[in-house]
Amino acid sequence: MAGDVGKIRIRVPSNVKAGDVVRVRCLVIHPMERIERDAQGKVIDRNYNYITRVTATYLGKPVAVIDLTQSVSENPAFSFALKATAPGPVKVTLVDTHGGKYEGTADIAFV
Amino acid sequence: MAEPITRRAALGTLGTVGVAVAAGSLGVPAPAGAQGSSQALGLQESVQDGLKRVFGGRPMKDGTAIIKLDIPPIAENGAVVPVNVEVNAPMTPASYVKTIWIVADKNRIPIVARATLTPEAGQAFVGANIRLGETTDVRAVVEQSDGTLLTTRREVKVTVGGCGG
Repeated sequence: MAGDVGKIRIRVPSNVKAGDVVRVRCLVIHPMERIERDAQGKVIDRNYNYITRVTATYLGKPVAVIDLTQSVSENPAFSFALKATAPGPVKVTLVDTHGGKYEGTADIAFV
Repeated sequence: MAEPITRRAALGTLGTVGVAVAAGSLGVPAPAGAQGSSQALGLQESVQDGLKRVFGGRPMKDGTAIIKLDIPPIAENGAVVPVNVEVNAPMTPASYVKTIWIVADKNRIPIVARATLTPEAGQAFVGANIRLGETTDVRAVVEQSDGTLLTTRREVKVTVGGCGG
């Protein structure tokens, strides 16, 4: 699975009309490491790898910025809304604590 | 919280800062520069400390009427609990929902996520899969563009915790 880290699936509704508010769902493959403890219950100090920031843009304009913590599930799924004003790309950028930067796009097309 | 700073309030705040500093140095010392602002978002702390740190003492109104917190009442697997927050409020440049926080009271890291929205979103909505360590209240805190804070909460029963450790 290691090779899949940062793989993003973005789902937009297929049946969109101009002016609709649509919900975009994203699924990312990412370990989102939890805090680990040793036998004494002490927190092991290291740089845990998890996603800290998700930035979503539509037609180049920011729609939502979601900051995540380690309380978010492994392979996080998240969703947000946007108002479809014109056909164009939705771009989602993720940043994790190990310097990884991942990107995914999906196109909003009108019927 | 409009009253002037009293000695009691000042001491209380100092106490909180002290605890936060101690937690920062003992709990998760952030590798310098690597985790930036989001490290400050999710500290290991109690939910009261977390809310105090993020919102200060700002008053929170009950937003049950307009915030729809969609979360299963019983979560069999605490590792993946879907949460959707929808706010029935206009999203125009003049008045919109600026930020939505998701807070899980009993998690080691209670401040789970923060979504910063723009009026382009058209609807104040955010969803995420979160972890819950045990049966707990989950809150949504909403900040509108004029600074008003609204909150609502729901209890989730967790059969198998998902935070481990």
